[in-house]
Amino acid sequence: MQGRRWLRVASYNGLAIAFGLVLGLIVVAAVGGNVVLALRSFFISPISTTTNLGEVLVRFVALYTVGLGVGLALKAGLWNVGGEGQFVVGQIMAFIGVIYIGGIPASVHIFLILLLGAAGGLLWISVPTILRTKFGANEIVITLLFNIVATFVGLYALNGPIRGRTQSFGFPLTDLIPPSLALPLLIPGTRLSIALFITLGVAVVMYLLVERTALGLRLSIVGESIETARYAGINVSRVFILVMLMAGTLAGLAGAMHATGVLGFLDPGELQPGFGYLAIIVALLGRKNMLGIGIASLLFGYVIIGAQDMAQVVPAQSGMVFAMEGAMLTGVSLASYLLARRGSP
Amino acid sequence: MAFDFIFTQSFFSTVLFQALALLPLLLYASLGEIVAEKSGVVNLGIEGLMLMAAFSSFTFDYATKNPFAGVVGSLAVVAVMGLAFCFLTITLKVDQIVAGLGMYLFGLGLSGVLYAIFTSGAGVGASGVPTVPKLEIPLLAQIPLIGPVLFEQNLLVYLSLILVPATSYLLSRTGLGLRVRAVGENPKAADTMGISVARVRYAATMTGAILAGVSGAYLAVGYTGSFQLGYTLGRGFIALSMVYLSNWNPYRAFVAVFVYDFVDSLQSAVVINTPALAASSYLLALLPYIFVLALIPIFGRKARAPKFLTIPYRKS
Repeated sequence: MQGRRWLRVASYNGLAIAFGLVLGLIVVAAVGGNVVLALRSFFISPISTTTNLGEVLVRFVALYTVGLGVGLALKAGLWNVGGEGQFVVGQIMAFIGVIYIGGIPASVHIFLILLLGAAGGLLWISVPTILRTKFGANEIVITLLFNIVATFVGLYALNGPIRGRTQSFGFPLTDLIPPSLALPLLIPGTRLSIALFITLGVAVVMYLLVERTALGLRLSIVGESIETARYAGINVSRVFILVMLMAGTLAGLAGAMHATGVLGFLDPGELQPGFGYLAIIVALLGRKNMLGIGIASLLFGYVIIGAQDMAQVVPAQSGMVFAMEGAMLTGVSLASYLLARRGSP
Repeated sequence: MAFDFIFTQSFFSTVLFQALALLPLLLYASLGEIVAEKSGVVNLGIEGLMLMAAFSSFTFDYATKNPFAGVVGSLAVVAVMGLAFCFLTITLKVDQIVAGLGMYLFGLGLSGVLYAIFTSGAGVGASGVPTVPKLEIPLLAQIPLIGPVLFEQNLLVYLSLILVPATSYLLSRTGLGLRVRAVGENPKAADTMGISVARVRYAATMTGAILAGVSGAYLAVGYTGSFQLGYTLGRGFIALSMVYLSNWNPYRAFVAVFVYDFVDSLQSAVVINTPALAASSYLLALLPYIFVLALIPIFGRKARAPKFLTIPYRKS
C-alpha cells in the first residue's frame, strides 16, 4: 500500500517534469538546435561535474527553504504566492546589513545579516497578513502585488542605498561582498555554502512542528475546514498569522543566504530569481509534506540546472526556463486530475 | 525644488490625457475578469495571457504593417490559451490557482522566448511597429482645454469606456448575465434549473481571456509600439486586485482603474519635470501600487466574492 502510494507520487512528479521537458525540446527544435544533445544536457549535465552538482544543491537550498514556508501555509489553506518578493527583500536587507553594519566580529556580523534578511521577509509578508486576517482580502492577489513592489524597491536600492562604488558603466549593482562576510563554502570549486546545514536544520524543526506539536495539529485542522476548526475552539486568525509570518521569514532567510552565500553581489537580474514561484510547484509536488517538499526541491534543483543547460541554444534563456516551469505547473495540475480519477485522496 | 509647473494648464492636460490613454491597459482585463469571476472561475493567469497577446499583436503588426490585424491575430492566440485554461479548470476540474499560475509562467516565458527568436531572425529593434490610430472626434475635439484631452484618444480607449456600462448591463439586466451570476453563486440550483454550468463558465472565462488579450494587445500596438520580456509589469495581477476592490462591479472597477492611472500619470509627469527626483523615480513609480493597497482596507472590507469562486462544480 505504502509502496503503491510512493509509485503514484513518483509518477506525479515525472509527468509534471515531462510536460516542461517536451515544451523545452519543441523550442530547441524550433530554433534549429540539436534535440538529442538538448535531452542529453538536460539529464546528464546536472551531475556531470562537481561544480554543476554544487549548483543543483544551491538551488535545492533556496527552493527547500522557501518551499517549507509555502508548504506550511498551504497546510493551513493559505497561498503564499509572494515568496518571490520576500526572497528579494531578504536579499536587499542582507546587503544593507553588509554595508551599514560594522565594527563587530565577522561571525556575529554574518548572523546579523541572516537575521536582517529573515526580518525583511517577515516585513514583506506582514502587510498581506494584516490585510488577509483583519480585512478578509485575498492573500493570493496581495502577495502577488507585493512581488512587483519588491522589484521596484530593489531597483531603488540598487540605484541608491546599496549601490556599489565599483565602475559599472551606469549599470546598477552592489560591490562584491567582503570574503569574511560570505557564508563559508563547503566544497571547493562550488558555490555550496553552510546554508545547506541551516536549511536542513530548519527542515527538521518544521517537520517536528507539523508532525509533533499542537500547533501542527491545529494548522492541519484549519487547512481541512475552517468551520471544524472554529467548532473545536481554534483561533483561526492566530494560526493564519503565525503560519504566514513563518513563511515570509523563511523566504527572507533564503534570500539572505542566497545573496551572501551564492551570489556575493546583487544586480537587477537577481530581482526576479523565480524561486518564489518554483517553491509553489515544489510545495504542491511534495504534497505539503515537509519531507516530500525536500525531495521535490532536490528534483527541481536538478531540473533547473538541466533546463538552463538545455536552454543555452535558445536566445532568451530565462524566458525558456519560465516557460518550462509554466508547463510543469500545468503538468502538476493534470497529474492531480489523473490521481483524483484513480480514487486517491 | 520648484513645483510651479504643476499648476499650469499644459501639465494638467498632459496628466489627464495620459491617465485616459492608460485606461485600456487595466480596464479591459478587469471587466473581463469580473465576468469570469462572477461565473465562479478565477483566472490568475491573465498576466500570462496579456503577455502572449502583447507579443503576438506586435508580431502580427510587424508582419502585416496593420495594427488592427495585430489585435485580431493576438486574440486568436489568447483564445487558444483561454480554451486550454477552461479545459483544465472547468472540464477536468483541476485547481484554478495552480492552472492559473501555470498559465502566467508559461505566457511570461514563451512570449519572451518567441520574441527573442523573432528579433534575432527579423532583426527588428525594440520598437517601430505602427500603432492603432488616434480617433479625433469632429467638433468635440475643438472644445478648448478638455477637447484635445477627451476627444483625441485612441480608438481602444473609447471602446473600453463603452464596455463599462455594457458589462454592467449584461451582468445585471440580461438573462445571460443572470445565468452567469447563478452559476457563480449557486451552481447546483442553476443546474437543477437546466442551466449548463460548464457551458456558462466556459463562455464567461473565455470572455475574460479575450478581454485580457485586448489589454495586452493595446500595450504593444496601441500604446507603445514595442514589446519586451515581462512587458506588462504585473498589470494582470493589478487587474485582479481591481476586480476585488470593485466588489465585482464594473462601474466601481472603472473608478478604481481611473484613479490608479491618474496617480500613475501624475507621478511620472512630476518626475519628468523635476530632475532632482530622478534618483527616487523607482519609489515614486510605486505610488499607484501603494494606492491600491491602501484602498483595500477601505473598500475590501465590504467586498463579497461570488460564493462558488474557485470551486469546481461536480454533479453529485
